[in-house]
Amino acid sequence: MRMDRVGAWLTSLYPRAWRERYGAEFDILLEQCLHSPLDALDVLLGAVDAHLQLLNGEDLTWRMLNMLNKLRTTILLVFTAFIGFIVAGFSLVGLADDSPMIPLMKTNPALAAAWTTIQIGSVVALMAVVIGGFPLALTVVRRALSGERRGLGLLMVPVVSFLAVMLFLGFVFLVGSGRIHVPGVDPVVQPGTFPAGNRLMLEGLMLVFILGAFASTLAVWKVISRTDSEQETFHAVGRNLTVKIYRFAFVPAVIATLTMLVMLVATVSWGWLSFSALPQVFAGNFGPWGTSTQAWFISIIVVMAVCTAMAFFGVQRGRPRQTGR
Amino acid sequence: MDTTDFGRFSDPALLILASLAGGEKHGYGMMEDIEAMTGVHLGPGTLYGALSRLEQSGLIEALPADERRRPYKLTTRGNAYLRQSLTSLGNFVSIGLQRLEA
Repeated sequence: MRMDRVGAWLTSLYPRAWRERYGAEFDILLEQCLHSPLDALDVLLGAVDAHLQLLNGEDLTWRMLNMLNKLRTTILLVFTAFIGFIVAGFSLVGLADDSPMIPLMKTNPALAAAWTTIQIGSVVALMAVVIGGFPLALTVVRRALSGERRGLGLLMVPVVSFLAVMLFLGFVFLVGSGRIHVPGVDPVVQPGTFPAGNRLMLEGLMLVFILGAFASTLAVWKVISRTDSEQETFHAVGRNLTVKIYRFAFVPAVIATLTMLVMLVATVSWGWLSFSALPQVFAGNFGPWGTSTQAWFISIIVVMAVCTAMAFFGVQRGRPRQTGR
Repeated sequence: MDTTDFGRFSDPALLILASLAGGEKHGYGMMEDIEAMTGVHLGPGTLYGALSRLEQSGLIEALPADERRRPYKLTTRGNAYLRQSLTSLGNFVSIGLQRLEA
């Protein structure tokens, strides 16, 4: 049997919680230094020792650290899923905007109810993410502004992305108000028409938004991955308040996840009702870059479903368990 | 007798702390450093058994992983503990030497 296989087998003898905390780094170590039967025996004794620690309740740090890692992964997965869901949601708004579905909602109560559910859901999910992520965001910013300047560059990514979207929006506003003239763009769009220049400008805005959201999510993921502290003390209203930042974010993460599921169901219902009432709209090419409306809507649903599944996976992974064995 | 063999004083935890006193290191780095410093070869199981206990007691701290390898560093508490342990050990060595010379 090869030594790397021996190493993998020996590592598998350790308790699961121990492996989740130290497994990756231990595997690397064994690849480098597992040369003799004596080393293998030492690892075997280490596994027995780890089980004894667990039985005696003697050393449970790696169980706690493992739980912290799991909670952090949960928060990151739900946050990423939420951003993906929001991008899909904006695409849905872009699809419905100025379409015949908007006037139809005034006469079709079921369609209006589905749309209202999506709107309320987006506010609830956003509130959950903002409230749950607030202590974590403060911690990350505090670290970035401390002497170490840890993650400051990465934190600039969401700021720059936000500014880019705002600048683009400002440009669109100035063009729309007629203060800036761009050839091919009509500041006053007539009903039933949508000039190619206007479409290009809106698609550009969507592209900047999607790229900004993607880059910001990656940057935030990286920064939070480096934030190892379990709790943080904040000074507010003359008092010191200690918050377990990842544990605090768990319940809002569950709320955001359930809300995403509700919004997904509402979006499917809205699409089904719209398709039943106005099949000709779905047969057209009103998606961005002239893509099929039907294909674009199905893509939105797929992205929302994947994001919701990702969030559920994250929540399931981070839920408290009785034992780490 | 091998003079670099600390025998029963080759406490893995103390060796790890002394190694980390020279700067942050990952597992293999510690093993090599300890071997170069004292001639003691720490097995991987012994190393990580001691590491997990040192982490629990707050004497060392895990740093963000560099690829799959995770470096560790000495905490302020670990620094104080190492200083106290080495001072005690130094006193013991000093008394032992005095008695041999008497």
